[in-house]
Amino acid sequence: MKKTVGSENTLNRIFSLLKRNIALATLSLLLAAAGVALSLYIPVAVGSCVDAIAGENEVDFENLFRLFVNIAVCAGGGALIQWAQGMINNRVVYHTVRDLRAKAIRKLQKTPLSYLDPRPAGDTVSRMVSDAETFADGLLLGFSQLFTGAATIIGTLIFMFGLNVKITLIVAFLTPATLFAARFIAKRTYKTFRLQSLLRGEATAFIDESVSNQKTVKAFGREEANTARFADINRRLSAAALKATFFSSLTNPTTRFLNALIYAAAALAGSLMIIGGEGALTVGGLSAFLSFAAQYAKPFNEISGVITELQNSIACGERVFELIYDSPCETDPEGCSELRGAKGDINIEDLDFSYDKAKTLIKRLRLDVKKGEKIAIVGPTGCGKTTLINLLMRFYDADGGRIYFDGQDAAGLTRGSVRRNFGMVLQDTWIKEDTVRANIAFGRPDASEEEIVAAAKAAHADGFISRLPQGYNTVISDSGGLSQGEKQLICIARVMLCLPPMLILDEATSSIDTRTELKIQDAFAGMMRGRTSFIVAHRLSTVRDADKILMMKNGEVVEQGRHAELLAKNGEYAALYNSQFES
Amino acid sequence: MKRLFKYLKNYRRETVLAPLFKLCEAVAELFVPLVIAAMIDNGIRLSDEGFVLRSAALLAVLGLIGFGLAVTAQYFAAKAAVGFAKELRFALFEKIQKFSYSRLDGIGISTLITRMTSDIDQIQAAVNLTLRLLLRSPFIVFGAAIMAFTVDPDTAVVFVIVIPLLAAAVFGIMLVCLPMQKKIRASLDKVLSKTRENLLGIRVIRAFCKEKSEVSEFDAENENLARIQKFTGRISSLLNPLCFLLVNLFVILLIYKGALRVEHGMMTQGAVVAMYNYMSQILVELIKLANLIINVTKGIACGNRVQAVLDSAEGEPKAAKAAPESGGLIEFRGVSFRYDGAAGDALCDITFKLGKGETLGVIGGTGSGKTTLVNLLAGFYRATGGKILIRGENVDSVDGKELRKIIGLAPQKAVLFSGTLRDNLCWRDPGATDDDLLKALETARALDTVGSKDGGLDCTVEPGGLNFSGGQRQRLAVARALVGSPEILILDDSASALDFATEAAMRKALKEGAGDRATVIVSQRTSSIAHADRILVLNEGRQVGLGTHDELLENCEVYREIYESQFKKEAAV
Repeated sequence: MKKTVGSENTLNRIFSLLKRNIALATLSLLLAAAGVALSLYIPVAVGSCVDAIAGENEVDFENLFRLFVNIAVCAGGGALIQWAQGMINNRVVYHTVRDLRAKAIRKLQKTPLSYLDPRPAGDTVSRMVSDAETFADGLLLGFSQLFTGAATIIGTLIFMFGLNVKITLIVAFLTPATLFAARFIAKRTYKTFRLQSLLRGEATAFIDESVSNQKTVKAFGREEANTARFADINRRLSAAALKATFFSSLTNPTTRFLNALIYAAAALAGSLMIIGGEGALTVGGLSAFLSFAAQYAKPFNEISGVITELQNSIACGERVFELIYDSPCETDPEGCSELRGAKGDINIEDLDFSYDKAKTLIKRLRLDVKKGEKIAIVGPTGCGKTTLINLLMRFYDADGGRIYFDGQDAAGLTRGSVRRNFGMVLQDTWIKEDTVRANIAFGRPDASEEEIVAAAKAAHADGFISRLPQGYNTVISDSGGLSQGEKQLICIARVMLCLPPMLILDEATSSIDTRTELKIQDAFAGMMRGRTSFIVAHRLSTVRDADKILMMKNGEVVEQGRHAELLAKNGEYAALYNSQFES
Repeated sequence: MKRLFKYLKNYRRETVLAPLFKLCEAVAELFVPLVIAAMIDNGIRLSDEGFVLRSAALLAVLGLIGFGLAVTAQYFAAKAAVGFAKELRFALFEKIQKFSYSRLDGIGISTLITRMTSDIDQIQAAVNLTLRLLLRSPFIVFGAAIMAFTVDPDTAVVFVIVIPLLAAAVFGIMLVCLPMQKKIRASLDKVLSKTRENLLGIRVIRAFCKEKSEVSEFDAENENLARIQKFTGRISSLLNPLCFLLVNLFVILLIYKGALRVEHGMMTQGAVVAMYNYMSQILVELIKLANLIINVTKGIACGNRVQAVLDSAEGEPKAAKAAPESGGLIEFRGVSFRYDGAAGDALCDITFKLGKGETLGVIGGTGSGKTTLVNLLAGFYRATGGKILIRGENVDSVDGKELRKIIGLAPQKAVLFSGTLRDNLCWRDPGATDDDLLKALETARALDTVGSKDGGLDCTVEPGGLNFSGGQRQRLAVARALVGSPEILILDDSASALDFATEAAMRKALKEGAGDRATVIVSQRTSSIAHADRILVLNEGRQVGLGTHDELLENCEVYREIYESQFKKEAAV
């Protein structure tokens, strides 16, 4: 995981994200300026009011009423503008975060599995959900307060200069101290925020792993040990959170204290000026000036508070950006062609591959497959069968060597088009949280009801589906409801419905009882006719009538041939085959 | 939400002190307009420079006191909020650990995860803000009103009118936003669940080239979330302008009343300025509050969601302990089971006995109830009919922990957790020695797997055990079940990804090392269970046969069919 990417980079990314809403953001800025101008005029008018009520029998009611109307109009107008600004900010922020999540999910589809497999899903989920949310919160706060704050400061300064130049100069002179203090604290807080969101990711990853396998945890009575491990992560997370929360909340009192000093200085200077009869400053003027001095300070408080929130949100945003921009991207190179309606000839030349660069798994693998051939891959566990499939499906890219489909180099074909020509059933089933119907029609959403039922029947899944509470409309999910074998039947029905020209069955029937399997075999046989198929299976009955059996060991094909040939050879395959009759 | 506050009890001191210091700070702030009024009326009017200087110094001192109080308050607030979140997160995690299988079936995993992470973060933020500001705001508002009364009771009546109006606006908007926040959280759950689904199903999604449609489904949830958020934002952003308008209109009223009183010599000009300042303080406070409202309503909505999990039942209550009855190690007496909300029984009238050192094979078709039987035996679910006895005791009355000690289980889905291999293997017995582990690995035929990894027993296991192949994971799961010498070993289809040679070797090793250990083997393959002392044949949840391999071949048609489907034809080649 990369450390700080540099906030400048992050800020650029935020701005480019905001670009789509630039017009609205500008409008929000203009509204902020207008709203501030109106709200700043009110203290001035109140100051004039105060001057109009100097003492007993000295009240100028006529002037007073005129000022009242002005105040009312400003209050009404200001309220309207504030509301409009609020609406715009909402829109900009929620759209921005929506776009951010949309970008992230799109990137996820292009991120290579070699990047995703070793990373906990929980951490990625935390980035896309919690981090994006915190980012949104901070952005909203930034928008609604940073703009107004900045506009208020500028506006107040102008109004104050209008009232009294000297005191304004005192105020303006003392201001940088506030900014400096805010900056000082902000710098130190950023690290604590970053640590907090890092630990939050760790906690989410653990929670995700533990909660989604809660049944396994229970089966081993691991509740206490897991709780202890969680307690440790939780403790570290809260220690970081306390630091981040406390240090960030120092900004506000600090700047407020400095503002109190500025306020006192302005009150002192103003009072002395009136006593000394210097200039035209009146008590009303001073009152207005002081309420400006208080208001002038307020945005600093808010901005400094907002800055800490923003930092938290930027730290979180950065984690989302890492996912979007700093993870590798699997794009098909320029000029790739589509593999359309593949015939099914596959040639593999000197394929090399390793997950871990230190240990080569697949070494100079060569294989020629003719259209319509049925290839069985057998071998002891961990010999590279699943890896070969990962490479054929182009989930992983080979380190060396080439794969040709119908004589075309796979490197020059789009990944999508290669995959579309394969139908795949894996041992690890995946069920989408949706209806049975949608799950079967996953690869062909336009399939008709009859086709779906026919596919389910072919996979011998129709029986148990019709026993489900709502039949084909029952909502199923990965975590509950179906047995492992039933899930596998649904996955088989999924492929039965699509029937692409090449098939991969990786332990496709491992959880299905053998009687059902036998029945499915017939359907499989029909499906495989004329289609190039790869079958990984331990049940050698599935393998026997293959056109070619690849006996793999330690990433190499050690034997290749038909069942009878290999048995006659009396080598590795024969040993494996005969072992199933021993007990 | 209310019942969550008990998790604050370790932070009682902080919870009380934070707002208290905040209130003291507010008091210091409330003195400021008084000092200014005195400056105008005594200092400027009487041209007393000394008084003006002293007043200004007092203002600075008030600022310093405020600073000290505020920092202390922030510290206590942060400590209480973070501590609260920590305890809550922990309580929730503990609660989830206690859920029974049937509870876990009914609860969505995604929503549990959001509740434990993002929801609790929001609660933490809300508690922190509440301690710092929410109590301060009413205090400032009422304090300002009271101070106004001390200045001039007649004009101060204006405050009595404006405060209820402002309160109505604040609470009204909060009430409207609360249910909407609930919807937002639910919608966020869906976004999370879509994200997880995309990550977990990534191979299938890519294989079917469904990236685009998955993205568009995600977009729909994402769009929905943004829509509810915008709608809620539209309402909560009403608060600020509303308060602004109200306060300023009442400023007009205030000055008008003040002007009348000044005209008649009943009030000074400085007093009017003070009154106006108090009104402004209220406005400033309300603006802060308005910005908070979103956070607080969000916090409450999240709190309710967390509470819902904490309040939910953990599962079946323990049965009363009864005197042990005679019988073997395991006995099923007419056991039936039905899943919550299911239409029919998953298991029906199962009866068998198993003694020490014996082996039971369980075989049957897909969905015949094999895994359900294992889950009942391990006490994960409670039988809905009949009785299950383990060592003569009703399994319902045996403590779950006690049961886990007796039973070593290799589940159908071999799950490894991230960490080291040693961590994973020591699940049943944290004190297991290297020898114990190696012995278990040898029996499970997994020694070579460990040998091939850097670090041996301490090699890294990646999330989900993805750096091991399916077969390797299964063998490691069997080894894990063997560590700590369980009295009962259950293998739930734990050899499905193994080749025959490896499985046969494992079976042999298991048999040799069995001793008094009873073994239950669930399998699809007759070869895996043919040697068992007794074989239970299941078909659609019913017991259709019980006996040895030879007996069943003789008199159980289902068993014979299964056997023939795998063996006879093969042997005939």
